[in-house]
Amino acid sequence: MSAAVTVSPLITAPPAPVRRPRVLLVAAAFGAVASGLVVLTMLGAYLQVRGDRLADGVPALPEGVVLPLTPGNMGLLTLAMSVITVAWLVHSLRHDDRTHAYLALGLTILLGVAFLNVTAYLYQQMAMPFTMTGTSGLLYAVTGAHLVMVFVALVFLVVMGFQALGGQLTGRDAESMSAAALYWYVTVAVYVAVWYGVYITK
Amino acid sequence: MTVTEVAPAAVTASSEPPAATPATSGPAAVLGSGDHKVVGRLWIVAALAHLLLAGVAALLVAAERIDLSGVDIVGDDWVGPLFAYRSIAGAFLFLLPLTIGVATAIVPLQVGSPTLAFPRAASAAAWAYLLGGGLVIASFAIGGGPFGTDRDGVRLFVVAFALVLVAQVVAWICIATTVISLRVPGLSLVRTPLFSWSALVAGTVWVLVLPVLAAVTVLAYLDIRYGGGGGFFGGGQDALYARIAWAFGTPAVYAFAIPALGLIGSILPVFAQTRHQQHRVAQGLIGAFGALSVGAWALPGYGADAYAWLYGGPWVVVSFAIVLPLLGLLGLWALTVAKGKVVLGSPLLFALAAAVMLLVGVLAGAVQAIEPLETLVDGDGATSLYGTTWSSSVAGYVVLAAAIALLGALAYWAPKLLGRTLPEAGARITALVLLAGTVLWAFPELIAGLMGQPASPLPDPTDNVSTIEALNIATLIGGVLLAVGAVGFVALFVTASRRGELPGDDPWNGHTLEWATSSPPPAGNFASLPEITSEAPLYDARHRSEEAPV
Repeated sequence: MSAAVTVSPLITAPPAPVRRPRVLLVAAAFGAVASGLVVLTMLGAYLQVRGDRLADGVPALPEGVVLPLTPGNMGLLTLAMSVITVAWLVHSLRHDDRTHAYLALGLTILLGVAFLNVTAYLYQQMAMPFTMTGTSGLLYAVTGAHLVMVFVALVFLVVMGFQALGGQLTGRDAESMSAAALYWYVTVAVYVAVWYGVYITK
Repeated sequence: MTVTEVAPAAVTASSEPPAATPATSGPAAVLGSGDHKVVGRLWIVAALAHLLLAGVAALLVAAERIDLSGVDIVGDDWVGPLFAYRSIAGAFLFLLPLTIGVATAIVPLQVGSPTLAFPRAASAAAWAYLLGGGLVIASFAIGGGPFGTDRDGVRLFVVAFALVLVAQVVAWICIATTVISLRVPGLSLVRTPLFSWSALVAGTVWVLVLPVLAAVTVLAYLDIRYGGGGGFFGGGQDALYARIAWAFGTPAVYAFAIPALGLIGSILPVFAQTRHQQHRVAQGLIGAFGALSVGAWALPGYGADAYAWLYGGPWVVVSFAIVLPLLGLLGLWALTVAKGKVVLGSPLLFALAAAVMLLVGVLAGAVQAIEPLETLVDGDGATSLYGTTWSSSVAGYVVLAAAIALLGALAYWAPKLLGRTLPEAGARITALVLLAGTVLWAFPELIAGLMGQPASPLPDPTDNVSTIEALNIATLIGGVLLAVGAVGFVALFVTASRRGELPGDDPWNGHTLEWATSSPPPAGNFASLPEITSEAPLYDARHRSEEAPV
């Protein structure tokens, strides 16, 4: 194939330099919506199956299994606090405040890991077998899918955070961190739906 | 700028001519390339290969229906999987990947960008699709897939299908992000060419729909793997097809046709030699069509009444409302043709065929939503049209219209994709054969649906059996015509890539930016760009130069 570059006679000016505004931010928004929809679809299935079982007078969970509220609430509180630390992180990077950025990133990682830990504790406390004949498998599917989302968001934040702190991002183009923050916020918003659907209306 | 935003093969547009062809050639150039044109061609070639396989399955199923008294051609165990394979492969291994391939190759050119957003992710998505598609075929081959008898095969299918879906979500995100963020300055969103605009709308819709399908697929996997075949939705692997088939039902199936609207809107003004009338209105109508085709809410539920939405208010309203944007677009296209001077090139023939078939499909979809309409089955056997071959015919019209439009796009953009043009006479004949095949394939299915033929792998109609069998023969003839058209087109495409006529940079006198560079475009796409003051910068420039004093 010939690839000789020819210039159309209709061309009147050299191209303006292509900017890359919000590329990662836009993609992160699409990615966050896609990830969130996976969790919400599973949540919808869980609620439908649970509703049907309760309407039939069948317990939603296997006999003897109790869904404790405290770990779920702690998870919500943890993620709510992380929203503040993530906003703090983005703000610090925009103002080239590396000390605060270090602190905010560290706290966010801590809170993210704490959320993973509290969910693991919840699983341990429930001691519920994994089976797809009732809602138990679906409950694991919903909360597990959200855990994956939190993990992805955490990795995204850490990678962007270290890029920034390693000097690859400056205050002028902290957009990548904004993208990671956006994904994190959507992750937290999805958890609010999971928390209400799974733990509050149990 | 982060590392992930830098294209491996991209160069930033500047006044300097871009680099010529990459140094590597052969398989290495494909395997390691992040060039959107190479990645796009990868999607296209794989999709065309899947078209041939899905076509064989569709013909076998159609042949099986000639005699409804039993299984004559393929074994009992194969009727169901073949039926599922032709639908799933036709939609998710051929049509959607072909759309993605054309969009990956053309959208950056249309928006004046030297690269696709996240070229490595786009490349990874293409390879993931190739792997997933291969595994889907393997799963069917070992007796898996929906209606499959081999449990491991069914599980393999679910995992492979989920991989295909994830790959397509990633690809759509790359395409949509390119349209939003990488347009050349001057090309505002309202000036975005209609194909790129429709790619943005389709990308958004698929980002809303495919994750839902992926989640349902994951749940199906868990159900089959841990539910012992009678899990939380009580069907196990037997119910797997229903978990996927909603994507071919109304309104979700219309999403397949969104890029076709943009394709027709891009091709028609060029061959009418005038600008598209009311470009912004057309964008709005494509957007409205896209919004109405978000079908993720109309999937079988997990509760007692799985199809509670069927014939419900929203479903009926959407089925009817979606006719309006299409009629609006047809009106604008008629106006464009009336204002211009039509040259009947082969891409235009494909576009016109697609427009007519899409209109029939959407109208049939609206008729299907009228609940009192029943099949012409005597006595208590009468049912609503949904669930009969009327439904599959609606999907057939829409999907085939989209496919014809995309093949027209390959003919139109062959200079950019291959550096060659397709033989014009051959392409015209192919377009007409595909149009005839679509009519013969889908119209008898409509009538058979009206007579009560269920849309199932091996339908067992209670009434009108001999008439339905005659209609099924007509459908098979349509299938043969479609196969001839598809094989003919693939043959044209392959031979043109080797021995086709060398085009100029702009053989059609195109209106949009992809025609402002060489054919095929170099790495980096553009040496320079024209001034952009409308959605048709080359049309403007051509007319300015014609009007300028000598």
